[in-house]
Amino acid sequence: MSVVPWYDGRDGMYSWFWRHLPGNAWVKALISLVLALAVVYVLFQYVFPWAEPLLPFNDVTVDNQ
Amino acid sequence: MEASVLRRRRPGPIAAAVSLLGELLITAGLVLGLFVVYSLWWTNVLADRAANRQGDRVRDDWAASQNEAPGELDTGDGIGFLHVPAMRNGEVLVEKGTSSEVLNDGVAGYYTEPIKSALPQDKTGNFTLAAHRDGHGAKFHNIDKLKKGDPIVFETKNDWFVYKVYAILPETSKYNVKVLQPIPKESGKTKAGRYITLTTCTPVYTSRYRYVVWGELVRVEKVNSKRTPPVELR
Repeated sequence: MSVVPWYDGRDGMYSWFWRHLPGNAWVKALISLVLALAVVYVLFQYVFPWAEPLLPFNDVTVDNQ
Repeated sequence: MEASVLRRRRPGPIAAAVSLLGELLITAGLVLGLFVVYSLWWTNVLADRAANRQGDRVRDDWAASQNEAPGELDTGDGIGFLHVPAMRNGEVLVEKGTSSEVLNDGVAGYYTEPIKSALPQDKTGNFTLAAHRDGHGAKFHNIDKLKKGDPIVFETKNDWFVYKVYAILPETSKYNVKVLQPIPKESGKTKAGRYITLTTCTPVYTSRYRYVVWGELVRVEKVNSKRTPPVELR
């Protein structure tokens, strides 16, 4: 742990994230891309299917409720 | 003056918090954007895949039971296909029930509740269907393209049921279950007949209201050995 505060001389979480990735810029970019795709996968596979019925965009039937 | 110069060189906790908040907001925007992509594109991909698989199974079942006694049982995979030329979306498989699990597979469902749908082969009654307007196959997306007089054809193993649109309700409450009645009075009918009712949500991309289209049976054609479609579909 550094004694310097986390916000010191920085701007935001993504630059913090970038600095903590290993390797040179190309490796960092590659890892970022893979992680971004993993996030999209988790969203499409698990999060959105769960969230969709809770949102009022897709009810098509008439009913009493 | 001095403080602001200092802050520019090394952001204080407030500046850091603001920039963190900014990044979280950008992230939230991206997630919402992805949700739109998911809703309007990815669910269609999944639903069309499921609908094609189930539709193929129904056609295979029909072909396999060609020589057996006629019967239009719902095998769970669906009872037939809806063809609406005005919607220009090919054939839509029709299955039992209107729950999300059924409709999300890119099919139309016939109502089992709150008012039970009649089936096309019944002597009288209202064959009531629902399907998605957007996403999950969006099978009734073009419901607003239907005009009075347009044909709606329902294909079963042995028959083509040819309906004609006679009334349209472009906007109604989602609680208006009366539109599903065996004699849909709101469409202007007072006598029992053989009707079809299509329901979906409106306006597009929301589900605030319901769009309803009514048709009545014009004639029934026997399916021939080549499954030649009725003139309305040629």
